[in-house]
Amino acid sequence: MKGGVLLQIDIFGWLNGILGWVSGVLSWVLGIVDAVLAFVWSVIIWVWDLAWANFFLLFKAIVFPGLVFILMLIIFDVWFTRKVWARVQDRRGPFHLGKYGGLQLFADAIKLVAKETIIPEGAKRWMFRFLPGFLLVVVLLPFVFIPWSSTWIIADLSVSLVLVFAFLTAVPVIALLTGWVSGSKYTLIGGFRAANNQFAAEIPLIVSSAGPALLAGSLSILNISQAQSQLWYVLILPISFVTFLVSGIASIGLVPLDAPVADSEVIFGWRTELPGIYFTMTYFAEFAKQVLYSALMVAFFFGGSYGVPTFPPVLNFFLKFLVVLFFFIVVTSSFYRIRQDQIVKYSWKYLMPLSVINIVIALIALVYVPGLAGLLVQGG
Amino acid sequence: MSKLGVIKDILQVLRHIVRQVFSRPFTYFYPFEDREYPERTRGRHIHIRENCTACGQCVRACPVVAIRIDKSDRKYEKDAALYFDYSRCIFCGLCVDACRFDALYHTPVVDLSEGSRDELKYDPERIETIEREPLEWRGRRFR
Amino acid sequence: MSPDIGDEAVEIWFGPQHVSAHGWAAKLTVVGDYIVECDPHAGYFHRSAEKVLEFRTFKQGGLVLERMCMLEAFLAEYPYISAVEQIAGMEIPERAKVLRTIMMEASRIHSLQFWWGQLSAELGLFAMTLWPWVDREFFLDTFEELTGSRHAASFSTPGGIRYDFTDKVRQKLLRAIGRLESNLPKFKDMLLRSPTFKMRTKDVGLFNAEDGIKWGLSGPNIKSCGIPMDLRKDWPDPNLAYDLADWEVPVYENPEHPGQSDAYDRMVQRFMEIETSVSIIKQLLDQIPDGPIVDPKARAKANRLPAGEAYGRVEGTRGITTVWLKTQDKAQTPWRAKIRGPCFASYYSLKHMVPGSTFADFVVVFGSLDPYPGWWDR
Repeated sequence: MKGGVLLQIDIFGWLNGILGWVSGVLSWVLGIVDAVLAFVWSVIIWVWDLAWANFFLLFKAIVFPGLVFILMLIIFDVWFTRKVWARVQDRRGPFHLGKYGGLQLFADAIKLVAKETIIPEGAKRWMFRFLPGFLLVVVLLPFVFIPWSSTWIIADLSVSLVLVFAFLTAVPVIALLTGWVSGSKYTLIGGFRAANNQFAAEIPLIVSSAGPALLAGSLSILNISQAQSQLWYVLILPISFVTFLVSGIASIGLVPLDAPVADSEVIFGWRTELPGIYFTMTYFAEFAKQVLYSALMVAFFFGGSYGVPTFPPVLNFFLKFLVVLFFFIVVTSSFYRIRQDQIVKYSWKYLMPLSVINIVIALIALVYVPGLAGLLVQGG
Repeated sequence: MSKLGVIKDILQVLRHIVRQVFSRPFTYFYPFEDREYPERTRGRHIHIRENCTACGQCVRACPVVAIRIDKSDRKYEKDAALYFDYSRCIFCGLCVDACRFDALYHTPVVDLSEGSRDELKYDPERIETIEREPLEWRGRRFR
Repeated sequence: MSPDIGDEAVEIWFGPQHVSAHGWAAKLTVVGDYIVECDPHAGYFHRSAEKVLEFRTFKQGGLVLERMCMLEAFLAEYPYISAVEQIAGMEIPERAKVLRTIMMEASRIHSLQFWWGQLSAELGLFAMTLWPWVDREFFLDTFEELTGSRHAASFSTPGGIRYDFTDKVRQKLLRAIGRLESNLPKFKDMLLRSPTFKMRTKDVGLFNAEDGIKWGLSGPNIKSCGIPMDLRKDWPDPNLAYDLADWEVPVYENPEHPGQSDAYDRMVQRFMEIETSVSIIKQLLDQIPDGPIVDPKARAKANRLPAGEAYGRVEGTRGITTVWLKTQDKAQTPWRAKIRGPCFASYYSLKHMVPGSTFADFVVVFGSLDPYPGWWDR
C-alpha cells in the first residue's frame, strides 16, 4: 500500500466519544445551573436570615410606622381634611363612597391616575416626569425619624432634627424647578412664590424647633420627645409652638399662606401644568407634609408618647397627633390668604423675634423659677 | 392694645369655626333626601289633552321655539300633540300663562337629566304623564 | 406693550381659561411682581343679546334681559319692561309697584351676598364664601316660592307682575331677612375687623371720585368715594315705590382718604347697601296695598306697540342699568334696544386702577368692583 495513509476512523469509538462529549457538556451546563441556583439559594438564605434576624426592623420600615402606615395616614388625612373643611363651610363633604365617604379618595386617585399624561410643549420632559416622584420621596423620608414611641421608631440618629429640616429644604427647590421646567408663566410665578415662602418661613421654623432641642439637650427627635416625661414643652414654650405652627403652614403652603398655589391668582401655582399621576404625587406630598408637621409638633411640644399612663405609648402619640392635626386643619380653613411680600414681612418681623424671645424667657424661667429645672430630663 | 384686639378677633373667628364644625350641615344628602318644591315650581310640563283645543298659543308664546305642535295627531275631539324639546326650554312659564284652557301646567319635577340629548326631546306620550321609571342607584330606588 | 417698558417686562394673559376669570381675559404686563399695564378684553362672554332682543316680542324681551345677569334677575329685567310700559303708556297697579320694589331689593341683597362670597373665594377663604351663600339660599327659596324659579324669575311683565304674594312668600322673605340680620353683624365683624382682610384690601385699587365719574362708574363703586349718586333718589321711577319708604342713600366716605375709594371702602359700602335694602323691604312689607297685580288689558297692549322711543332705567346692584328702546308703528318686536350695563365701565376702569399694584392684588381689585361679564358683553 503506497502513496498514502489510510485514514481510519473508529466510527464506533467516535460515536462513543460523542456520548461522552455530550454528557460532558451537559454536566458542565448543569454544573453552571447548579452553581447559579446554589448562589441564588444562598442569597435567599442569606436574605432570609438577615430578614429573620432583622424582622422587627423590616416590619417597622414597611408596615407599622413605615410605608404602609404612613400612606394610610396620608389617605386618612386627605379624607379628614376634606371632611373638616366641609363642616367648616356648612357642607357634608364626601359621603357617597364607603362609610362616611372613606373610599372617596381611592376613587379620586383612580380617576387622576387614569388621566392622560399631557406634557406641555415648552416643558423639559425628563425633569418634568422625574420631579414630582422625587418630591414625594423627599417628603416621605423624614417619617423615618418620627418617634411613635421609644420602640416604634424606624431609625434614630443623634442629629435627626437637623436631617429632617435638611430633607424639607429640598421641597421648595423641587417646587421651583417644577415650575421652571413646566414652561409656563404661571408655574414659574408659583415656583418663585414657593421659594419665597421657604425663605420667609424656614428660619422661624428652625429657631422655634431649637427651643425643645435646647431644653432636652439633644438634637435627636426621639430624645426630645422622651425628655418630656415630666413636663410638656408647650407649657414653657407656648409662643414657640405657635410660631412653629404658622411657619410650618407657610412652609407647606396651606391656605392663609398659600401664595405658591393660590388658585385665584396663579391658577395652581407650580402645579398648574402637572397632569394626572404627577399632580397626584404633589398633592400627596402636600398632605404628607401636613402629617409630618403635625407629628413633629406632637414630638416637640406635646410630650411625644407620654400621656394617659394606662394607654400604650403609640396610642397616646396617635391621639395627640389627631388633635393637633384637627387644630392644624381648622387654622388653615379660617383665614384670608395674605400676599407673598406680606408673608415675608410678617415672618421676619414677628415670627422670628417671637420664637427667639420665647427661648430667652424659658431659659430665664428655668433659672429663676424654683423646681422647674428639676422637671426637665437632660440628655434624653 | 390693637395687637391684643387682633388676637381677640382671631379667637372669635376660631370659635365660630369650631362651632360650625360641630353643628349640623346645611346641605342635603341629595339623592336620598330632596327638598320640598313649592307649588309654583316651574319644572317640566304636563299636557292635559282632554282640555287642549289646539290653539297653538303656547307655541306662539315660546321665546326659544321649544314646543312643536302636531294638529293632525288627535286623541280627543279637537286636541293636538305637543312635542317638548327640553334641550331648548328655559322654563320661563310663558306657555303656561298663554294657555287659557287649563291644558298645560308646570310640575315640580326638576331633575330632567338624561344620558343623551335626544332623550330630552319629549314625545306626546311622555309629556302627558309625570310617571316614569324610578331611578336606581346601588340597589336603592328613589323617586 | 408700550415700547418704553424695558426688556424685563413679561406679558401674562389673565384669562380666559383662568380659574377666577370666567368669561373675560385681561392682558397684564408685569415687571417683577408689579403690574405696569393692564389691557382688559371684552367679548369672551358675548351672547348678542341686543340682536336677540330684536327678534323677541315685548313680553319675551324681559327674559333676555334677566339672563344678562342672573344674579340680579329682578333688577335686570326691569329697565326693558319699564321702557315697554312707557311706550305703551300703561298704568301699573299700585300693588304691582310695591311688590316689584320689594323683590328688586331682595334681589339686590342676594346679589350682594353672592358678590361678597365671591370676593372671599378670590381672597382664599372659601368658608366665608359659603356662609353668606347659606343665607342667600333663603332668598332663593323665597324667589322660588314666589315665581317658581330660583334664579331666572321673570317676575315683571309689561303692565304689572306675573305672580302674586302669598302668606308663605311673606313668611319666607321674613325668615330670610331675619337670618340675614342675625348673621350680618357677626360676618361684618369677622370681615371688616379681620387683620388679614385689611392687609389685602386697604389701599388696593384706589381711585379718585373725579376719575371714577370720568370713567363712568356708578352704583356702590362711586358711592364709596362719598358721592351720593343713586338713581332711586336722583331720578325716581314713577312705577316703583321707593318714595313709600323712608331711607337715605348709603354713602361711605373713608376719613383716611376722603374722595377716594379702595377695595375695603367698597366692601363697607356694599354692607351699607345691604342694610339699606333690608330697611326698605321691611318698611314696604307693611304697606302692600290690595288690588290686582296686572291689568290684562294693559298687558295685551304690549302685543303691538305704537312708534316711539323710551328710556328705562334702574339702579342695579352694580350701578346704573338702562335700556333705550325704539319701536316702529304696530311693532311686535323692537326696532332697536340698546342696553347700558353698569359693569362695562368698571371693567375697563381696571386699565387705570390696576397699574402699580402687585400681581396678587389684581383679583382683589377686580372682585371689589363686582363686575359681571354678562353686563359688558351684550
